[in-house]
Amino acid sequence: MSNTTQDKPEPSQQPQQQNPPVLEEDDEFEDFPVEDWDQEEAEKNSGVANDNVHLWEESWDDDDAAEDFSKQLQEELKKVEASS
Amino acid sequence: MATPGSSVLDRFLSSIGDLVRQRDGAQLQDFLQIEPPLSDIYQQMVVELRQRYPAESPQKDAELLRRCESLIPRSKGSSSWIAFPTFMKLYLTFLRDVNVENLLETYNLLKGLLNQCVLALGDSQNGVIVLPTVLYLCKVLAKLAMGLDRRPDLIAHLLRLEGRSDQDESVEKVTLVEKSANVVREAFIKCLTDRSGTPGVQGKPEGRRVGIYLMANLCLKLLFQCGKLRNAEQMFASISAQSPPLTYFPASQRVTYLHYLGRYLFSNSLFYPAQIALQAAYDQCHRQALQQKRVILTYLIPCNIIMGRFPSRQLLQRPEAQGLAEKFVPICQLIARGDYIAFREHLAFDSPANEWFARKGILLALRNRCEIIVWRSLARKVFIHGGFLGDPAAQRSPPPYLYLKKLETAVKWLQSRHVQSSLGAIGFISPSRALDAKAGENAAGSQIIYKVPDPDFADSHDPDTSGTDRIVSSKYDDYLAPGACFDALGQLQENPAHTLADGDPNADYSQHELDPYADRNTLDPEDEAQGKPTPMMWEIESILASLLTQGLLRGYLTHGNPRFAIPGARARGAIPTGFPNVWQTIYARESEDDNVPGWVKPPKPAAAPIGAGGGGRVVNLSGARPVGIQ
Repeated sequence: MSNTTQDKPEPSQQPQQQNPPVLEEDDEFEDFPVEDWDQEEAEKNSGVANDNVHLWEESWDDDDAAEDFSKQLQEELKKVEASS
Repeated sequence: MATPGSSVLDRFLSSIGDLVRQRDGAQLQDFLQIEPPLSDIYQQMVVELRQRYPAESPQKDAELLRRCESLIPRSKGSSSWIAFPTFMKLYLTFLRDVNVENLLETYNLLKGLLNQCVLALGDSQNGVIVLPTVLYLCKVLAKLAMGLDRRPDLIAHLLRLEGRSDQDESVEKVTLVEKSANVVREAFIKCLTDRSGTPGVQGKPEGRRVGIYLMANLCLKLLFQCGKLRNAEQMFASISAQSPPLTYFPASQRVTYLHYLGRYLFSNSLFYPAQIALQAAYDQCHRQALQQKRVILTYLIPCNIIMGRFPSRQLLQRPEAQGLAEKFVPICQLIARGDYIAFREHLAFDSPANEWFARKGILLALRNRCEIIVWRSLARKVFIHGGFLGDPAAQRSPPPYLYLKKLETAVKWLQSRHVQSSLGAIGFISPSRALDAKAGENAAGSQIIYKVPDPDFADSHDPDTSGTDRIVSSKYDDYLAPGACFDALGQLQENPAHTLADGDPNADYSQHELDPYADRNTLDPEDEAQGKPTPMMWEIESILASLLTQGLLRGYLTHGNPRFAIPGARARGAIPTGFPNVWQTIYARESEDDNVPGWVKPPKPAAAPIGAGGGGRVVNLSGARPVGIQ
């Protein structure tokens, strides 16, 4: 294979373009620069404390009666009740 | 083996022959370069090709093919791999003939080359050797097609020359991107249907099967680009039926695939499985792959919002979520506030926020699916501030309830707030066109939201307001004197002056009148005084009934003197009982089936797994059949 390597016109391994850290609007899902990685390098590393990061908020009901919207709603309901 | 003194073409072909004998697919692909700029040695080979095998010489072409045929090993007994020499010949003539000035021709030549390579891939013995080449050619073709899709001006003149202009609208246009997707799908099928080794869900990625998800991902990329997601359905079905488990494939392929699968499920309104696939894509993604994580989050976040789960501050502060908070937090706030008008206006077709959501393909899902949660929030707030919350001290007291009249009051108050604000921003409401806010004045249709009245059905059809001098002036003039109509030959005739086109203006058409609101309740103040429900009340009842049906409210409705009552609230309290947590409600219902269509998982071992997870595990018997039944 020695002369095969020599004959080979040019290595085609193009350097992977490094993304700038600034994220711009790109709708397309880019190719990964590496083919495979271990669990340790994944976002969710099973068995690590990082696992329990709170990603989602299940209880979001807005119970702040002092908040503008609730306050005005409350006043309006009272007003209508009083007039009827 | 060729000597160093021989021509580049000779050396090249000899090396190709070696690589085929060694079954070195990766090297073979590396040799078969096509993308400009080609290095000098390839340029030299092109010059040699043009000298020794000039184009337009069938005789020379046949000679070239014979040379390529000598590249493959001739084995006794087995059929020879004739698709490969044909492909090699096509590769060389591609290099010789391609004119990258004409991108359309380049595209077609490249597609032909790839088609031939896919045929070579189909060989059960040797096909796998060209798998890397097929993937490479697929990628180049996809890149070219998507580039031309973004810059249609580059080939517009060529399409015109071919007579394929936009004139013929009877035929559905197949874009270059879609055509490319179809070729890539052929390659995908060749990979999926490799019968060597153990195929199917019990199998491992070996032979051509290693390419299943590489091809699927490329095909999905193209289908998403050309908006032909429906074409992906068969692909997911084939994967479910024939692919080895996804977990045996490299992380990059898994994450890319789960991302596309999640988006596909999302766009089919299958939000729960979509959420599982997208969350898995996010979890398995490389920690440093910010761009990919960001795209995943762009879909994972709305998917969760629709099911009543909002992104946490921690999530939105991550680098990959940069900029996403300003898109999604306002939506979450509007849902929690319960201002349905502000919510609708935020995602209305003319709102500034809408463009980004529309481009991502998540606008309609958010708009259509979240509004009901907004109504839950509004009903909940009205209940807190205006409902009967029950009397815990009393031994026997009626269950907590809410007079729906109060909800109607709240809706009217919201409408008046927004009408006022349309004149200038006040308080928590930003200025708007306040279309929904004026719905309370609608003579027909909804009292809650704005819909353009259909002139055929709306009574408010007033010819005088059009400003034109119409000859006919009656409520039927859209029929008698329309702005345009079809003549006896089926040709559209414009009638800008609205002259009499048909019929007799003096005839009585009332018996032919269509009225979709036949049982319309007129907005009669007397009715209201007599306690008859208003049209707005009817709508409010329907909305609450819908919330009840979806499990987002718990209790019952009474129709006479409309109320929402919450029985059985003694233990947990009226609010948590009547207004259960949205996510927990949806999760409890949906998680009964955790299967994600299109995601192949390893078959469950027959025996109970040892040391897995701990805790009480539920055995899934959904696939079990009664004894004695096949």
